[in-house]
Amino acid sequence: MPWSPFSRICSRIFAGLFFILLAVPALAEQRAGNIYGLPPCLTTAGERVDLIFWIIFSLTATVFVLVQGTYIVYLIKYRYRPGVKAHYSHGNNTLEVIWTTLPTLIFLALAIYSNRIWDEIHRPPPENALTIDVSSYQFGWQMRYPGVSGKLSPCDVKKISAQNPFGTDPSDPRTAQDVISPELVIPVGRPVHVLLHSRDVIHAFYVPEFRLYQDCVPGRTIGWVWFQATRTGDFQLACNQLCGTGHFNMKAPIHIVTEGDFQKWLSTRQQKNAAPLPSSISKQ
Amino acid sequence: MSASIAHTSHLADTSPEVHGDHGHGHGKKGLMHYLWNTDHKVIAMQFLFTSIIYLVLGGLMAEAMRWQLAWPGHPIPFIGHLFPSTIVSDDGALIPGGYNMLVTMHGTLLVFFVAMPVLIGVFGNFLIPLKIGAGDMAFPAINELSYWLFSVSGLVMLASFFVPGGAPGTGWTAYAPLSSVGAYNGTPMGQTLWCISLFMNGLGSLTGAVNYITTVITMRAPGMTMFRMPLPVWAIFVTAILLIFAIPVLSAAAALIVFDLNFGTSFYRPSGGGQPILWQHLFWFFGHPEVYILVLPAMGFVSEILAVFSRKPVFGYKAMVYAMSIIGLLGFVVWGHHMYVSGMNLTLSALFSVSTMVIAVPSAIKTFNWMGTMWRGSIHYTVPMAFAVAFVSMFVIGGLSGIFMASTPVDLFVHHTYFIVAHFHYVIFGAIVFSTFAALYFWFPKMSGRMFNNTLGWIHFWMSLVFFNLTFFPMHNLGLAGMMRRISDPTVYDCLRQVQPLNVVCTIGAMGLGLSTIPFLINMFWSIWKGPKAPANPWSSTTLEWTLDYPIQHGNFPVTPTVYHGPYEYSVPGLEKDFLPQNEKAPSHITLEAH
Repeated sequence: MPWSPFSRICSRIFAGLFFILLAVPALAEQRAGNIYGLPPCLTTAGERVDLIFWIIFSLTATVFVLVQGTYIVYLIKYRYRPGVKAHYSHGNNTLEVIWTTLPTLIFLALAIYSNRIWDEIHRPPPENALTIDVSSYQFGWQMRYPGVSGKLSPCDVKKISAQNPFGTDPSDPRTAQDVISPELVIPVGRPVHVLLHSRDVIHAFYVPEFRLYQDCVPGRTIGWVWFQATRTGDFQLACNQLCGTGHFNMKAPIHIVTEGDFQKWLSTRQQKNAAPLPSSISKQ
Repeated sequence: MSASIAHTSHLADTSPEVHGDHGHGHGKKGLMHYLWNTDHKVIAMQFLFTSIIYLVLGGLMAEAMRWQLAWPGHPIPFIGHLFPSTIVSDDGALIPGGYNMLVTMHGTLLVFFVAMPVLIGVFGNFLIPLKIGAGDMAFPAINELSYWLFSVSGLVMLASFFVPGGAPGTGWTAYAPLSSVGAYNGTPMGQTLWCISLFMNGLGSLTGAVNYITTVITMRAPGMTMFRMPLPVWAIFVTAILLIFAIPVLSAAAALIVFDLNFGTSFYRPSGGGQPILWQHLFWFFGHPEVYILVLPAMGFVSEILAVFSRKPVFGYKAMVYAMSIIGLLGFVVWGHHMYVSGMNLTLSALFSVSTMVIAVPSAIKTFNWMGTMWRGSIHYTVPMAFAVAFVSMFVIGGLSGIFMASTPVDLFVHHTYFIVAHFHYVIFGAIVFSTFAALYFWFPKMSGRMFNNTLGWIHFWMSLVFFNLTFFPMHNLGLAGMMRRISDPTVYDCLRQVQPLNVVCTIGAMGLGLSTIPFLINMFWSIWKGPKAPANPWSSTTLEWTLDYPIQHGNFPVTPTVYHGPYEYSVPGLEKDFLPQNEKAPSHITLEAH
């Protein structure tokens, strides 16, 4: 096989470069601070997601090291040497059975455990949950909160139009009480149940700190998403489904505040409701 | 069985098409020789050179996107002004809508106009008849038609850049109703051309698939039983069956988009009673088998190349064939794992996650068998072997990162982030493209009659490996930091500004990866004309194509070969040379191990 001394030297140089260049991302990560791990986790469901994430991470990291390590050992140990003939073997059925059964069991166990957590995350929201209507459009978000009655006025996706962006019933007395906001303000420690809507194309409700993604599908209400924040802070809601030219900037502020601050904000917001948009709240 | 094989191959040898075309194509090598030719080897070259053009175009689009992500809003040097005004501003910086167009066209071109034609069009055409001992494809004229459908569909796709509104900006997945309502996407003409192009491209794939299946079933040389076929042939055979079932679904779904866009129907528009998620089901019913359509041939090439350069039989040949068939079968029941969080029924998501975990098993089996092939081998370090080993290594990374998304709760976190961009580029670039490079270097002597330049080959290999990992590995971290895919400016998000240095690293890697194609292209084009003449069997390989001298005449085999044993008899004990070609009988004192 052709294999000149020059290409041997080239290979060594490039092999060296390979490891130097792999160090570059590692250095970049250290410079920028806390980007090695995951972003902070803010919801109870998110903690469950992180648990299974780390289980899979440890499993795959082990397999990665074992498989790649074995390859490197093989590449060195079984390299061509003059006079040494390769071992003649067409395979081994016992081995085939073992390395079919073992991964099957591991993968099935992962699937079963994953789906238990999946079901747990998607159990029905608790009774005391705050329900918020989250409405997406090209290219922004609008939230609708229950007014003084404590209940959101009912909506119907078939009624959504330019004049009635939430598809509510104007004759319902609760409709006038609804609080409209361009920002998602939620109380810490209380379950929040969001009803996801879209007025035009598919958007996605994505908050990395909540470990939560869900598409908002036009013509439907996605009603199974709820979460419970574990601490206060300011974050961003992002659209994570390509929805047109303005997609890259389709975001909304999220404020997680204490229950008291939340009630205060809601009543202030209610008074301003005559002029629904755009107005921004003061940081709580 | 053997009687019927002899009968069909006899037919193949004397069939009027083969002989008629032989006389027809002989002697004149004008432009027409390269434009309309029914020789499978020439068609393979047509596919190759056309796809290289699309590879360069799709690659430049990716470079432009990477520049924008690292330095948002800055004019793109060198290539910025090559783009039409729907994509860049006057100073040559990408605009958001233009970024979406590049996202769409990069994905579409690389999947449909580079990966598929190279893996299936180039190697399917070149290898199947040569490896099974046939004179040509079963339907040579339909074969050329398939090339022209592919070629013209590419022009239709590129034409979308120049119609009013520009190219579609809806992603290669074209989710409805964004893609199906002109008022939402602003590019109804471009989107229509996209659909028409994929429809034509699909017809080309289908005609090709019918041809491959027929050829493999009816035109094998005497003694070439199914279980004596080399693994690349098996891989393309299974792939062709997948194409037959998957492509029509995409074609139909794309036709519905054309109706919605232009004729006022409402298949995907909820206000008219349509269902947006219907598109996703149809698209991914095609789209997931599509992944296996790409990866199966890649696996086939690598299995063979690993065996040749380890001088060992493929470990578990039959296990490899069964694994490929099971992947093909299960590939049709996992499409829902793209849709866990699409609004699909939650229990359905759970079911799809089980089938998705199960389909990882045959891939694991194949990885272990590749390890077994190298175990106690005599490994020769050559350029094709290096790419084949890199394939396995990158495929392992891409496969392992896939387990994260397969788990439903983790998908809640990483869905549509750069984690998945990293994952599928490890599979499609790290695995499939590396395997293509391995195959190109491996069969280059047979295709061109010349040897490639080894030094340039090694430079190409190391640059690809280094810069590929530099580009795509940090994307795992970007995804876990919450970076969404398909956004043209990550710095608009507070949480993403702090990871911006990683985006710069990825872009530096992408530039290097772009440069790495230069030694490759120089090597290929220089060696075709000026490379040293290659011997008939430079790698001491066992399969039938290496028994032929260059140039291989139209009709391939002067005498139909007879096959006596399986494809990978390397290092047989008691034999002086370390390989036993398929058309050579083993000496009577040697018994070959059953595989």
